Amino acid sequence: MLDFITTFINGLNLGGIYALIALGYTMVYGIAKMLNFAHGDIIMVGGYTIMVFFSMTGLPVVGVLCAIPLCVVVGIVIEKVAYKPLRGASPLAVLITAIGVSYLLQSLAQMIFGPGQQMVELGDMGTISLGSLKIKVETIVTLLAATLIMVCLTLFVHKTKAGKAMLAVAEDRDAARLMGINVNAIITLTFAIGSALAAVAGVFYILGSPAVYPTLGALPGIRAFTAAVIGGIGSIPGAMVGGLLLGIIECICGAVPALSQYTIAVEFALLIVILLVKPSGILGKKKREKV
Amino acid sequence: MKKKWTMFACAAMAAVMGSALFVSCGGNRNYAENNEKFYIGASGPLTGGAAVYGKAVQNGAQLAVEEINAAGGLDGKQFEFVMMDDGNDDTRVNSNYASLYEKGMQVSLGCVTTKPCLAFKQLAEEDNLFFLTPSATGDDVVGGGNAYQMCFSDSGQGTAAAEYVKENVTESTIGIFYKSDDPYSNGIYQNFISALGENSGFTFVETNFTDDTNADFSSQINRLKDCKFIFMPIYTEPASLFMMQANGIISDDAIYFGCDGFDGIESAFTTTPISEIPQEISYLSHFDATAESGAAKEFIDSYTEKYGKDTLNQFGAAAYDCVYAIYEAMANAVSDEKEIPVNISPSDLCDILKETFQKEDFTFDGVTGTGIYWSEDGTVNKNPVKYIVKEKNSAA
Repeated sequence: MLDFITTFINGLNLGGIYALIALGYTMVYGIAKMLNFAHGDIIMVGGYTIMVFFSMTGLPVVGVLCAIPLCVVVGIVIEKVAYKPLRGASPLAVLITAIGVSYLLQSLAQMIFGPGQQMVELGDMGTISLGSLKIKVETIVTLLAATLIMVCLTLFVHKTKAGKAMLAVAEDRDAARLMGINVNAIITLTFAIGSALAAVAGVFYILGSPAVYPTLGALPGIRAFTAAVIGGIGSIPGAMVGGLLLGIIECICGAVPALSQYTIAVEFALLIVILLVKPSGILGKKKREKV
Repeated sequence: MKKKWTMFACAAMAAVMGSALFVSCGGNRNYAENNEKFYIGASGPLTGGAAVYGKAVQNGAQLAVEEINAAGGLDGKQFEFVMMDDGNDDTRVNSNYASLYEKGMQVSLGCVTTKPCLAFKQLAEEDNLFFLTPSATGDDVVGGGNAYQMCFSDSGQGTAAAEYVKENVTESTIGIFYKSDDPYSNGIYQNFISALGENSGFTFVETNFTDDTNADFSSQINRLKDCKFIFMPIYTEPASLFMMQANGIISDDAIYFGCDGFDGIESAFTTTPISEIPQEISYLSHFDATAESGAAKEFIDSYTEKYGKDTLNQFGAAAYDCVYAIYEAMANAVSDEKEIPVNISPSDLCDILKETFQKEDFTFDGVTGTGIYWSEDGTVNKNPVKYIVKEKNSAA
């Protein structure tokens, strides 16, 4: 039972990270109507930024504080240079461009930092022991911070002017433009927020698994995308539910030796089942699709 | 009519190509009949990323040759050791082999690393040349009758680790953390489990991961948290990640025990020094570079005096043993009244060595073990030792 509790908490922790990444996917999809496959690699950019500034100053905080603005800048530059000229182009062209950007980022990282794995130990926060229940403080911090960020994001989207403008663009881009909303600015804002979330996710990811390498973002990126689809792509609460679900499944599979080599298979089997039962995802809205 | 000509041309061409093939199959000529010393050849990385291993082999073998020669050689007949650089690149082995063979190589240490050694094995098998590799661990390196290993083979490490655990581990619960989609890791794990068997008295806590789940080990760590001895047949990168994540969860006086995949694990810890991991980190080896007594100590002293401490590792020790094993096998054959002239052909020497290495009572005592003997397939049998990379912090 205790083992199950620990595994569950670890799962929530990992799920929180996936949820943060999935939010970036789902917001960009909801608002710009495109799948930004370079999103996962922003985590990697964040990871290397932390590594560079942390090793320069020795202060983890500096690394984290530099990673977020840098990722936002990278996200905005990618949007302006690679995606904006393709606004109105066929979804397939945008998709391929996004995959290209993903490989570009990975190759750049490999050129600059080499293909190997580098350690980034941001400092050990210690362990909480309750009887034989042992949980790392990092896990709790990640869990709380991810929850806080998701609450703030929901409030931002529903309460502020910019957030409402985002919802409007997601609902109907042309109508929003007619109402005087600057659609391009809103899309840029979405990329900025998404990249910031990815940077934060990167910080937590490295806190749990202290290593950076050029393909660091690929796997969490794919998992987060799956989470976004399971939750219903375009839906913010859906991304959270999907992310947490995948994190918990991954940790439970890891705890059962017979299952742990089939972790990915279990996750995608779940995706298939959910899409069969509810084609638009757990919390997705039903509407005619045009990917 | 035209068709007939084409066919004729084809046939002619095939004949020419066939004869060319035949000539090249004949291979290089060996000039051992002009030798004034026994000629031991080898190929290994003396430049590039793996150079530290090649250098160690070169130094270790050279040291053994000098000692043997100083003690009078084989009935006064001296030895010579030559190593050529392959940069850990198997495409360079062909020309190295040809060049060594033409210079009169009679016996060899093969190659230092597995992939080049596979290329070497093919050529040596054709020429019936005996080789004993100090460090190419691949399962396919041996076999064919003329190829022998001084190191444990990849899959042999599982069995060797099991033997070590049976003899030395007092804990009744053994944690295992392996990579299920990696043939190296999975192979060692399977051999380890089957060698220990079901009635070994140990209980196992098995955990694994794959390429797709190689970042977050929290679930596996949680399952292993009460284990005091954790067997980890994996490479350094996931291992170092595991150890950092397990810090604070797994008991500080636990032992992380790996196989040769742990070689060089210190350098996997880049920002945090390895000393911050509180647990003991050790791996299965056949050479203890910190030995305080015995043959290993003597080797360490004479090696460091000559070449310094930089390249002192199990590769050099194994190469040193290889040369001595070949020498002792030759001496053993001579005492059996076999003729071994200094200009013996590689093939004749190979037949003698094969017979001697397979003799019931032929065992070898060296730096990397005592009572060493070889199975028919060329794999080695010896006692594994634990090489401690880092002691427990509480003990320090």
